[in-house]
Amino acid sequence: MATYDFIFDGLGLRGWCGEKTGGTMGMEELLARNSGETRSLWELPFPSLDNLHDACPAIAQTRGLTSGLESGFLGIKDALKVVVDPITQPLSWFLSGALSIFQTVPWFVMIPILLGIVYIASKSTRLVGMVASFILFLAFIDHYDYAMQTLAIIFVCSLICVLLGVPIGIAMSRSDGLQRGVIPVLDMLQTLPPFVYLIPLIFLFSVTEPKLYGIAIILYAIVPVIRLTDLGIRLVDTDVIEAADAYGMTDRQKLYGVQIPLALPNIMAGVNQTIMMSLAMVVIASLVSAPGLGVLVLRGIRNLELGVGLISGLGIVLLAIILDRVTKAALARVNTAQQ
Amino acid sequence: MSEQIKISIQHLYKIFGDDPEMALEHVKNGVGKTELLAEYGHVLGLQDINVDMVAGEITVIMGLSGSGKSTLIRHLNRLIDPTSGQVLVDGDDVISYDEESLRRLRRQQMSMVFQKFALLPHRTVVENAAMPLVVRGEDKESAVQEGSKWLERVGLQGNDHQHPHQLSGGMQQRVGIARALTSNSDIMLMDEAFSALDPLIRTDMQDLLLELQQELHKTIVFITHDLDEALKLADHLVILKDGYTVQQGEPQEILLHPNDPYIVDFISDINRARVLRVRSIMEPKTEAIEGPVAGDIDGNDNLESVIAASEGDTSLNYRVVSRGEQIGVLHMQDLVKALVPTSAAEGGVRGKV
Repeated sequence: MATYDFIFDGLGLRGWCGEKTGGTMGMEELLARNSGETRSLWELPFPSLDNLHDACPAIAQTRGLTSGLESGFLGIKDALKVVVDPITQPLSWFLSGALSIFQTVPWFVMIPILLGIVYIASKSTRLVGMVASFILFLAFIDHYDYAMQTLAIIFVCSLICVLLGVPIGIAMSRSDGLQRGVIPVLDMLQTLPPFVYLIPLIFLFSVTEPKLYGIAIILYAIVPVIRLTDLGIRLVDTDVIEAADAYGMTDRQKLYGVQIPLALPNIMAGVNQTIMMSLAMVVIASLVSAPGLGVLVLRGIRNLELGVGLISGLGIVLLAIILDRVTKAALARVNTAQQ
Repeated sequence: MSEQIKISIQHLYKIFGDDPEMALEHVKNGVGKTELLAEYGHVLGLQDINVDMVAGEITVIMGLSGSGKSTLIRHLNRLIDPTSGQVLVDGDDVISYDEESLRRLRRQQMSMVFQKFALLPHRTVVENAAMPLVVRGEDKESAVQEGSKWLERVGLQGNDHQHPHQLSGGMQQRVGIARALTSNSDIMLMDEAFSALDPLIRTDMQDLLLELQQELHKTIVFITHDLDEALKLADHLVILKDGYTVQQGEPQEILLHPNDPYIVDFISDINRARVLRVRSIMEPKTEAIEGPVAGDIDGNDNLESVIAASEGDTSLNYRVVSRGEQIGVLHMQDLVKALVPTSAAEGGVRGKV
């Protein structure tokens, strides 16, 4: 006897519901029956799908929703794959290319190149010294290869985030309608637990393909650069925009000559956030075969190897400090050039 | 000098709101500004504005905040589109321009100076001054040279490679003026160009503008809320209130014959001796004067200087000359009478106090 039988009996829907199959009895029900107590009003269960199903088998169980979603996804999977696979294929090439370049270039060439980039971006010898000591430390404790793999992935993913995110942000800043449409998507990407996008991606692509984690990282990390580009362009002083109009600038002249340069501090702040978020995601992506320091973190968790986990965690912190300081130093240079 | 009309604004209306066409009908049927807002939810920005601006003159549009003066000036280069009416520049209706001709107008014929300077903060001073030419697609090097020339002309030497934020407000506005001059347009729109500056610098800038105008003879449209500034600069003065023209004409004329209590209130506070000129209050007369003549004065002298010359003696008569010829006689008694302001209007703002 299920709780909500009375509804279906009362409405005369019993026939529609069909006969109850004997089926398996839940533990709770069994207990209830054995103790022989009737349920008090306090224990009235919410009329959820499962509870209604008990009373009337024609109503689907909640399990049906999740399994329906799953079979629906599997149904469109092949069609989706035909479209998405070729589009995302270049990402696999970039990632494998970057990984092999970062790993095959010998350390005594790679480290000076990296330090050179740091110097160009920051023009600060102190920062170069700090970065050098961090990288040498990682190399000294034999984490150089892992660190380079992580850097290669971040490099490719952040670059693609910027290449896609800045134009999307610009388009959003020009159209209120587009902004209204895109912002909920960005909110969703930012709040959905990162593990969740991994699941459909695993169905779509093989776990051995680099683009699997590439897409996951890009989806997660692209949000700030889009948001801050949009914001930055919208915040450009309207007086200056008016002056640009009054002197007859074309839209293109206005975009490249006024809006982007004036929004640059915000865009750079977005790039900084994007890089930090791709670093966070690259660790999670090690669950789906992303190489790098994340693999060691995962090993530390899986085998409870405390030392391995802590040291690789420290390595990630050091990389994070490097990336953050260098992008912030570049941002500060842009700011002083403008203020 | 022939009075060639450079810009002519005809029956210009601007209504802000969702359905300006509908509101326009009501306005043409005599609905007023407050009523339009209360009953139809539309804001009446400008109402039947008709102004002719003569080439080579400074037309000053004056009004308090909310009078629609900034809205009006933005119609000239169509930063704002009107609800109805025409703006003729050299006889061409600017309102009918497509995007391409509008851009040409803004690049070649009109330049603009802004209240908040609106310089590009990421460019150097000289790049800012050269901006109009660069926008037109001219070669950067010659544009910078031209910009540098005008910066020097407005009194900014040696700041070429600084950024705007390193300069004071007055210097930034000099850059703004240099930018407008570099564009070499016939028409200069100045939107409260000196309002953000402190009084001494403002006076300097007004003198600079008059000096430049002596030499360049641009058609200048100048917006201000400051009557002293308006009277100092204007060849033609237009006074706006709540979006309509209260009175327009030669400033001296408005000062001596205000036709509205609003204007009487406005002018009751100014220093008339400094603003009024001899030619406005003299007795026009070309034949020789009987009786003693204290001396010759110029028609464009202001009364202050005549009072100083007469040392306060009200019994004197002066011969007024212009370009060596007598154009009239000034009786000091008339001068003293002219100093008494038209009494503040009873219905006006001040009448109530």
